Amino acid sequence: MAQEIFDVAIIGAGPAGVTAGIYALRYNLKTIVISPNIGGWISKTPVIENWPGVLKISGVELAQRFQEHLRSLQPELVEEKALEIKNEGNIFTIKTEGSSEFKARAIILATGSEKRKLNVPGEQEFLGRGVSYCATCDGPLFRGKRVAVVGGGDSAAVSALMLSEYAEKVYIIVRESEMIAKPARVDQITAKANIEVIYNTTIKEMFGDKMLQGVRLSDGKELEVEGVFVEIGMIPNNKLAKQLGLELDTRGLIVVREDQSTSIEGVFAAGDVSTGSNRFAQIISAAAEGAIAANSVYKSLKS
Amino acid sequence: MPKVKVYSTSTCPYCHMAKEFLRQNNVEFEDINVEEDRGAAEEMVRKSGQYGVPVIEVDGEIVVGFDRERLKQLLKI
Repeated sequence: MAQEIFDVAIIGAGPAGVTAGIYALRYNLKTIVISPNIGGWISKTPVIENWPGVLKISGVELAQRFQEHLRSLQPELVEEKALEIKNEGNIFTIKTEGSSEFKARAIILATGSEKRKLNVPGEQEFLGRGVSYCATCDGPLFRGKRVAVVGGGDSAAVSALMLSEYAEKVYIIVRESEMIAKPARVDQITAKANIEVIYNTTIKEMFGDKMLQGVRLSDGKELEVEGVFVEIGMIPNNKLAKQLGLELDTRGLIVVREDQSTSIEGVFAAGDVSTGSNRFAQIISAAAEGAIAANSVYKSLKS
Repeated sequence: MPKVKVYSTSTCPYCHMAKEFLRQNNVEFEDINVEEDRGAAEEMVRKSGQYGVPVIEVDGEIVVGFDRERLKQLLKI
């Protein structure tokens, strides 16, 4: 029997991928969604207060609801990472980490982004042994300990505030001379007795024995901490986009037009991995881009 | 039935995913919240040699993170 060819394969299932899936399924497109993490990164956000109709919800719960909504429409769901993609004329073949292969006429890349790493000695070695990229996940394990947050943006501020509820002392290590987080957050930080901000400084090295014991700073001083939370921005997951040879911008985001189409026919991109919505990386803009991408696939397949 | 323990926090997404995975496969497990139980947190760090959650123990074998393939192997599902 010939292998089934899907109308659309959606790769990634954060807000963009889930919404693309919901729309594609409601258009009756034969849809496959490939993602090891239905709901995506939002589940790592402690609290979301800007999703209309929901005053306040935890990231885990909103991700759960996204997942339920998608599942209720009974898509073909492959909970694995997509590793390879090939463009064979008008058909795309996707290979997953479980070595399964799927074919589709159109692709929506909604692969999102991941945390940027510091790339300093010790970072890799102490990953999980003190180094974390998710305060929401691992913060509670540092009760009564001394920790450092790296970064000056909103994510760093939110992580530091969350950690200050558990940790004895929280240092924020900021490369610039000020924090670029929202002023309200900076005020909250100033008001916390156990948070200390260190400006104009970077981490040069992380050291320890089995577990992290401290970091060496750019001014040569050492800081004794058992945890380091890295919050220095995101980098796009554009591996598949590169395999296809899609046009990327200088930050590595997939360049999309108004209809979320890319430089290759049949390939669309949505959410944080794309330049859509004026590069505004929000749940609501990602969801909107997913909807537009599904609509564009529908139009292109029906024409 | 294998004896399964899940060390988790309430805010950790991979913990939720791991527990959902176990439930979907009808695997009974003991749910240990290391956020509330400091002794359990220390036990988890000692057993796994690291701070990340979830840590899943299957008949004494330690799995760090939500490693679906390894769990399938250990649970024979």
